[in-house]
Amino acid sequence: MVIDLERCTGCQACTTACQLENTRLPGEQWQDVLFYNEGEYPSGKLTWLPRPCMHCENPSCVAVCPTGATYKTEDGVVLVNWDRCIGCKYCMIACPYGVRFYAEEKQKTQPDVRKVWPSEEGKIWNPPWAMPAHKQNVKQGIGVQPKNVVSKCTFCYHKVSQAPKGTPDLDPNDPKTRDYTPACVVTCAPGARHFGDLDNPKSEVRKLIAEKRGVRLNDYTGNRPQVYYLAGEAAAIPETRSVRRKEG
Amino acid sequence: MSALETMDRRTFLKTSAAAGAAAAAGTALVAPEAGTAPKAAAVPETKIVKNVCHQCPARCGIDVYVTDGRVHNIYGSLENPISNGKLCPKGPLGAYVLYDPDRIKGPMRRTNPEKGRNVDPKWERISWGEALGIVAARLNALREKGEPHRFAIVHGRGWGASDAGLLGSFGKMYGTPNAALGHSSICADASKKAKAAMDGNYNYNAYDYRDTNYILNFGASFLEAFRPFNNNLQTWGYIRTKSPKTRVTMVDVRVTTTGAAADHLLLVKPGTDGALALAIAYEILRKGWWDRKFVGDFVDGINRFRRAELVDPKTFREKWTYGLVEWWNEVLKDATPEWASGITGIPAKDIETVAREFGTTRPAMAIFERGPTAHTNGTYNGMAIHALNALVGSMYAVGGLMNQMGVPYGKLPVSSDDFLDDAAKEAAKKKTPRIDRVKTKELPLAANNIQGIADSIVEGKPYPLDTIMFYLTNPIFSAPNARKWEEALKKVFVIETSPFPSETGQFADLLLPDHTYLERWQDAPIYPFQGWPMTTLRVPAVKPVHDTRQFGDTLIEIGKRIKGPMGEYYKKLGNVENVIKALAKGFEKNPGDNGVDGLAKWIEKGCWYRKPYPYRQVAGEFFEWDGVDYWKPMSEADVKKHLLKTETGRFELKSHYLEHYADFVAEKTGLPKDKVGFPQYIPPRYTGGGDLHLVATKTPMHGEGRTANIPVAISIYQPVAGGRNELFLEIHPETARKRGIRNGDRVKISNELGAIYARAHVFPAQRPDTVVLPYGFGHFAHGRWASSRKSGNVNEMLPNVSEPIANLAAVHAMTVKVEKA
Repeated sequence: MVIDLERCTGCQACTTACQLENTRLPGEQWQDVLFYNEGEYPSGKLTWLPRPCMHCENPSCVAVCPTGATYKTEDGVVLVNWDRCIGCKYCMIACPYGVRFYAEEKQKTQPDVRKVWPSEEGKIWNPPWAMPAHKQNVKQGIGVQPKNVVSKCTFCYHKVSQAPKGTPDLDPNDPKTRDYTPACVVTCAPGARHFGDLDNPKSEVRKLIAEKRGVRLNDYTGNRPQVYYLAGEAAAIPETRSVRRKEG
Repeated sequence: MSALETMDRRTFLKTSAAAGAAAAAGTALVAPEAGTAPKAAAVPETKIVKNVCHQCPARCGIDVYVTDGRVHNIYGSLENPISNGKLCPKGPLGAYVLYDPDRIKGPMRRTNPEKGRNVDPKWERISWGEALGIVAARLNALREKGEPHRFAIVHGRGWGASDAGLLGSFGKMYGTPNAALGHSSICADASKKAKAAMDGNYNYNAYDYRDTNYILNFGASFLEAFRPFNNNLQTWGYIRTKSPKTRVTMVDVRVTTTGAAADHLLLVKPGTDGALALAIAYEILRKGWWDRKFVGDFVDGINRFRRAELVDPKTFREKWTYGLVEWWNEVLKDATPEWASGITGIPAKDIETVAREFGTTRPAMAIFERGPTAHTNGTYNGMAIHALNALVGSMYAVGGLMNQMGVPYGKLPVSSDDFLDDAAKEAAKKKTPRIDRVKTKELPLAANNIQGIADSIVEGKPYPLDTIMFYLTNPIFSAPNARKWEEALKKVFVIETSPFPSETGQFADLLLPDHTYLERWQDAPIYPFQGWPMTTLRVPAVKPVHDTRQFGDTLIEIGKRIKGPMGEYYKKLGNVENVIKALAKGFEKNPGDNGVDGLAKWIEKGCWYRKPYPYRQVAGEFFEWDGVDYWKPMSEADVKKHLLKTETGRFELKSHYLEHYADFVAEKTGLPKDKVGFPQYIPPRYTGGGDLHLVATKTPMHGEGRTANIPVAISIYQPVAGGRNELFLEIHPETARKRGIRNGDRVKISNELGAIYARAHVFPAQRPDTVVLPYGFGHFAHGRWASSRKSGNVNEMLPNVSEPIANLAAVHAMTVKVEKA
């Protein structure tokens, strides 16, 4: 995935589209946007950074998981097998990006939605807009989770895994690929998000990373994220700016 | 039950021919039950139904995903030219709105005569027949007493001919001037008034953003709320990465995402935008950057616009503007950047920089809405800004501004004029004033005065009201001096039609709950967008979840129960579906670009539109589209008829419209009568008696009043949003320190009208004289989640002061005191 920070407006349509597509709880924002401020009036600065799971090439969450619940698929996506997850939260500590969620604690938004829409099947909740049952997959961490497990962004694996093999890019504006494209990419109004095959040199995402000097967040951790940011002239985060300074 | 049943696309294709024929014949459509997939299949069929989002007025077409009769996904429609397959953060929330557990589940009657915030109305569930009978009995009784004017309907943002569009004829046949009292006077009427005064169009503009190279934005939250928001976001992604990159200067009173993403952010003192705009105009004229082909030039080509120097009007030949030299002589010649700097707090150097960029980049546009205009000097602020569009020649040019065109709808099968009885005709003759006193001597220029209705009711002036019905508006929460409405609604019989609990509902006598937007048929022509006409359609995605009726049908059903010809009219009209069928007939002669030539295709595509915008100004000449290009020259008379609809047929920098009301305007503003026509700066008057300006903001998550009860929406933390159960007040650290306030402290925000509480969020980037908090907190009867965000409705301390010309509530003029709680 490539996120163009020059286009991103910080509106959080990605956040809400993800929440509806994946039936997330309030506050369990698999895809969040972080806001920062620096400086003071009249030259103060407000910046923001959209943050999905980085689906690292070398994910520390997989390395620390004691039960093998967190795993990497053949096509490079990091998923959680909820049948195996024991909710120990090691992965949450190990993740350098803070993109794993454990929704069992007291809900910050009250009244508690889990009590308003309780599940009769032992899941954490069951709202009327829940993902249709045939799309949910407990072994891939897709849909409504059982109680006491950790959840995370799946890159909308129920969609992207259905795309024809060898598709270089999932273009949300092309009716042929739209249904396979992750929710956040489909809905992103300024077109800040791109999803494609990083292994395919012909893909649009590879071209964007090359042309606009894509950078990865916290690269020093060695996790090798598969989400690249195009920092442009308006880099939201100091560390991407520092990378640009070294290059420039 | 709805005769126009929802159909999935596959079924639709099979039946469209028959449907078209049926619609043409005016008979009810009998659609097959949804879900025609074979039962044996393990995977249930998902159908996509076209609808229009109701989270803001943008008219984004949406694809509603329905499986097993449940809505579980909403995405933008690819074929809708506003949404283009995209959505803003509010768009997906429709599913939460539909399944809101706090919805009103059917008609209800109040059984406790006592009314109050904390008084249980003791609702009794009744049938629709009984509920409509109660309304009809009241309305028939008023008519029999010769007092139909004592019934009023107050509405918010209606959608089209199938809801708010029905109100006018209802009032005419019933005999009340109060059947369509709008809310625009707490919205952005001063913006429309500024445009009416100068280009003759009382409307918001359409904008060609994608082709402009410079946007000078005065307080329009382009990336947060300015409509059409979703399309603005798309536009932003485009204009900020195209070549050349469109430069954006944001003038605002607070730090926003729009300001942060712009090239320049000028943080002005609230209400002083007009002075800044005048200084930019001064610079453009003095430095000679004006568009000579549109504006005209000095006869000998020598620029005589010099600091503090009068210009002889005979030396300048104007083309499409009127009054330029007089404006310079009366207003501009002294409006230097130094002068504006003293008023706005923006360094003169920054004003010169922005003026140079704006004045020397083409195409360029200056945009604004309620930010600078919701002040006591709002119309003049708006005029000063709008004047810049004339100076740089962007009116009707590529990358400039246009007027929005209407939709060629078909006519309704019945005309209200044929169903007027003596009572209706007599009421029309009497010319009883509206309860909001609009178009009286008190408010000769106003379009609406929703903020005055509570006073009218409480004082019984101009007459005591008997029954009031609300549609899509909740002024007891959203109007200035909100507490006054609590007093008012105790004195009248109140009918509330919201699908949700509301503060109005808490004080209501009868609840007639509407469908949510995913359950109803509705036409919705667009707000100004790109000029060319477009309308959209809501198709029910699911059967109504509760025992509700859409407002249009409720109104028609009430009408049927009024004695006399009015009842006959509504029996002939039937229902909203018939209205929509009639509207769609207009497309038979005017098929849309997407092939929509009637109802069936409208249902399939969800929208009708026809490009291009037919008029264009090129280098000071106007042309009309001839089917191939803009080749047909327009005469001055054509321009006056279609575009610049002022008395002179030009862009008036000395407004005849305002000069006609010179006595009134002079009295209200203190200006000399011969000066009222010019765009100018008059100092704003701040209200509330505090020492800090308070701005209550909308965020991208704030949608038409409903997001306050959506747990997912309130869990999202955006700047100035607060989020969750906490209201945050953004305050500059120095301002906080002086008051002994530290980050995270609970603070009391108060003025002469009231007090609310929040938590201090020290934010060094904000102006030290301005505090900022989000709008939409402090509901006391809006559902379980909304009510959990208790204190904090700014309208409880917003003095009811309005801009005198357009009568727009001066919501940004408010000042407060802040202290540690």
